[in-house]
Amino acid sequence: MTQYLFGTSWKRWLPFLFLLPGLLAYFIIALGPSLATSVFSLTDVSGIPGIPINWIGFENYDEFLLRGLASRDNLAAITRTLIFMFFVTTIQFTLGLVVALLLNQGLKGTRYFRVLFFMPVILGVTIQGLIWTLFLYPLGGPVASITNDFLGLNLGFLGGPPREAFAWVIVVQIWANMGITMVIFLAGLQTVPEELYEVAEIDGANTWEIFRNVTWPLITPVVNTNLILNIIGSLQAWQLFLVLTGYKAGTQVMGYLVYAEGFGQTSGGAGASFRQGYAAAASMVLFVIVLVLGLSTQFLVQRRERRLLG
Amino acid sequence: MSTITSDEVQSAATTTVEKPSRKRKINWWRILSYLVLLIFAIVYLGPLFMLVNTSLKTTPDFFKNATSLATSLNFDNFVEAWEKASFPRLLLNSVIYTAVSTTLYIITAIFVAFPLARGLVRGHKFLYTLFVIALFLPAALIPQFQLILNLGLYNNPVGYMLFFLVNPIGIIILVGYIRTLPRELDESAAMDGCGYFRFVWQIIIPLSRPAIATVIVLHAIGIWNELILPTIYLTSEEYFPITRGLIVFQGVYGSDWPTLAAAVMMITVPMLILFLFLQRHMISGLTAGAVKG
Amino acid sequence: MNKTRWLIVTIFVVFGLLLVACASGTATEAPPAEQPPAEQPPAEEPPAEEPPAEEPPAEDMEAVTLRVLTWQNPPTVEFVEAFNEKFEAAHPNITVDYSVVNANDIQTVTQTRLTANDIDVIAMFGFANAAQPFMSEVEPQAWQQLVQAGLLMDLTGQPFVDNYDEATIRDAGTVDGKVYQVNLGRVSYSGTYYNKDLFAEYGVEVPTTWDELVAACETFKENDIECMTNGGADGWPIFVGAYGLLGALYPDQAAMVEGLWTGELKWDDPETLELWEKYQVYAQEMLEPGTSGIAGDAAPGRFASGAVAMFPNGVWYAGAIEDSEPDFEWGYIPFPGSDNAEDNQYLFGKYDMGWAIAANTPNEEAALLYLSEFSEPDNYQEFVNAVGFIPTQPGATLDTQVGQEVAPYLENFLVGFEQFWSAPKGAGQWANGSQGAAWFQPFGEWDDAAALAQQSQADLQAGLDTLE
Repeated sequence: MTQYLFGTSWKRWLPFLFLLPGLLAYFIIALGPSLATSVFSLTDVSGIPGIPINWIGFENYDEFLLRGLASRDNLAAITRTLIFMFFVTTIQFTLGLVVALLLNQGLKGTRYFRVLFFMPVILGVTIQGLIWTLFLYPLGGPVASITNDFLGLNLGFLGGPPREAFAWVIVVQIWANMGITMVIFLAGLQTVPEELYEVAEIDGANTWEIFRNVTWPLITPVVNTNLILNIIGSLQAWQLFLVLTGYKAGTQVMGYLVYAEGFGQTSGGAGASFRQGYAAAASMVLFVIVLVLGLSTQFLVQRRERRLLG
Repeated sequence: MSTITSDEVQSAATTTVEKPSRKRKINWWRILSYLVLLIFAIVYLGPLFMLVNTSLKTTPDFFKNATSLATSLNFDNFVEAWEKASFPRLLLNSVIYTAVSTTLYIITAIFVAFPLARGLVRGHKFLYTLFVIALFLPAALIPQFQLILNLGLYNNPVGYMLFFLVNPIGIIILVGYIRTLPRELDESAAMDGCGYFRFVWQIIIPLSRPAIATVIVLHAIGIWNELILPTIYLTSEEYFPITRGLIVFQGVYGSDWPTLAAAVMMITVPMLILFLFLQRHMISGLTAGAVKG
Repeated sequence: MNKTRWLIVTIFVVFGLLLVACASGTATEAPPAEQPPAEQPPAEEPPAEEPPAEEPPAEDMEAVTLRVLTWQNPPTVEFVEAFNEKFEAAHPNITVDYSVVNANDIQTVTQTRLTANDIDVIAMFGFANAAQPFMSEVEPQAWQQLVQAGLLMDLTGQPFVDNYDEATIRDAGTVDGKVYQVNLGRVSYSGTYYNKDLFAEYGVEVPTTWDELVAACETFKENDIECMTNGGADGWPIFVGAYGLLGALYPDQAAMVEGLWTGELKWDDPETLELWEKYQVYAQEMLEPGTSGIAGDAAPGRFASGAVAMFPNGVWYAGAIEDSEPDFEWGYIPFPGSDNAEDNQYLFGKYDMGWAIAANTPNEEAALLYLSEFSEPDNYQEFVNAVGFIPTQPGATLDTQVGQEVAPYLENFLVGFEQFWSAPKGAGQWANGSQGAAWFQPFGEWDDAAALAQQSQADLQAGLDTLE
């Protein structure tokens, strides 16, 4: 704690007092319920009051991770989530960086490009899904006309084989969120002083060398922010799947699974139950994955940042 | 030790975005840059164009061929959407929810971020980590539901807005930005006899305008587009935000896509305006906020 | 600048809070249902729909708000809104507060609103997929949980229950001998629409066996007409379209489910292999190329455009077909999945929407009244005509086009596999073989019928093996 400058005795508590509302809100609305979820995962709670709740220990986890061939499907979902995270993060990160670099040159029309690339964020997930459903319409849609009619490929798009549908969702996810990555990078690029570029050019460095030795190290903080946000965001993302593919075998990711199990939407029509306890266990599994990946990323990037920037 | 002092960061942070182009090797790169940007622009405009195109079609035309060009500028969909979805009332609801929630959030968030950024509270490192962990937390729809129900805030706008008092991303951005504001400010203000509240309210907040603008945009968009929470927690039609109003266009076995598209376009306008308005603040804002991660 | 900011922000927040407080003031009064009556529409006489004279006389009537919930389905919503107007006109003290949610959200909202006691009359699907004695360790269905929790009102003995036929009440609305739901209609999903004009033009007879169907498809394809279409982009239309294949092989689908559970029947039995092979033919040869790209709600339009001869799916699309192309001549027949004509007489389907009442509703009288009036033969007939259901009241007639098409097969209506099946815990995703048609390329990744059949059985077996 640093020295408090704004008064003595009871006034020293002012910062804490003013912090309290935000903290309490967080505890009550987010942290508390999440803790409850972790407790629920050890029961068979259905979510409907009036039905007896039984303590069943790790049975839910056992069912999710080990039981029969359903576990094969669940583990496949976990794998798929990680694959999704990998591709989305690497591509979105790279594209966001490239676009930010391009827009950092003060070209004419930068402002318009910026808004354009940020538009998907403004529109929200449901609309993103709607317009891509149309854009990827296999019979005569814009993309299909080029790939299938003109180039003669036989792409199935979102209604096609699971692997292909999955790939397209990755595309849409990147398209939708690149704007945020871009904006954060643009901000970071602002902190690199002009003089450094000029000095480097005078020294005869070419564009790539300038980037590698001047730009890249100096934007480490925003690189870190984007990495964390990307990784965690892509691990938790599922709403695009809801809108673009529905609960299709071979495309489920963890977030979707949790939602569908909890609210009884798994079988696509063949009846379902409310199984909040089971869903809680699934969401805890996801939480652990996110926690491990998130904290280790945070640790690694902070270390690099301290090393580079002091 | 970095060669960048916080002063330089500060001045860089407030530099305008449009920089003078460096004359020398640029022409080559400039053309390439524009080319690449153009390609991206097409990839972005394409799907967005589908939205506009759909909103201009008549429903039978749409069912005949979903992706063909609209043959006439059919603005009826917009009128229909406006009337059918009770636009004026629901739009007002959305505006109220967004404006009030965002304002309340920003105020509480600043008073969370400042002490954490300056280390003025015991256990501030732990608290900050706690907020970071908020990013990872699993969904807790049912416990939250029970909570709201037991507080008697079900089907109640106040209960609904409670959800938007929490947003870890905002805290992280604000903490990062405030850390770059020099401590000398604190010292000189304290020496002048400024109290804590006054200091934060009258000095820190104006200085943090960029970060605040950023957080406002991100938070407001989230609230504006939210659909699941209103479906569960606001069951009286008078409370519906505009996203709920869209349901009149959606069917089980088919939706009225053209009118839906028109409605969506109209709904987007307020948030677009907000972004355009706050754009310039945002760019310099995220800088310093992200510098410290 | 600082002071102004202060002022603006404060005013903003205070204004917002005031608005909110006023709004929540009325909100917290809503649940106890004591509300001044809303503005009444002028007392228009509903045309020939007088409420029967046995209504309790309007003495001692408190103002009541009746909350009704259904999922989004335009014909249903339209009808209910019109009905609500008439109902309110006939009972001036009752205001109907009608909510609609997306079909995706109905499960969630049903649970939350019943829990919060924020609903009086609620629409539900017919009770199905109940856990059978031979199904061990199966979680009870959502509606079973609701009944178990005491959230649905027991309607046994209510006079309007008798308006519905026995099978409906028994199969779709009863739990442990008590009635909790009156179901409003059946839908059939194992048939196929066919284009009468195209059939006549190419001299093709309506197929009554599988071989005839295959031949018919050939004829059409030779003449550059596509044989079948479906809404492949949405996934489910593909396997729903093949339900007729399942039914042709195993008409008693309840017994089929039991057989799969006990091991008497296996997905890769020699007899069942025929099913998989036919799935493959259907998916790869009958459905037109590009089916996987057609959205569910675009398929009826495609069929109505005359480019395709047949459209195997449920009766719920009849309205959409008619709207697309009113002059279109079409028919509906059971999907001929068997080589014997007699096996192709059945229409399989499910019970669709029904009404239930919240057990803890403060407006019991009003809710029962609502159901009672809805169940009157006149109102019910109008409902069935508007929505296109197969009626569940004995006296109702099938006035719609699809109703007439379906009428000859009504005696042979059977509840389908989908409404009986529950997978054992631990079963893999391929265990529900009734959805097999959607797993073949180009919709899924399989191309070998025998291999898929074996995988399906293996997935089912894996679950069965983990049971105690």
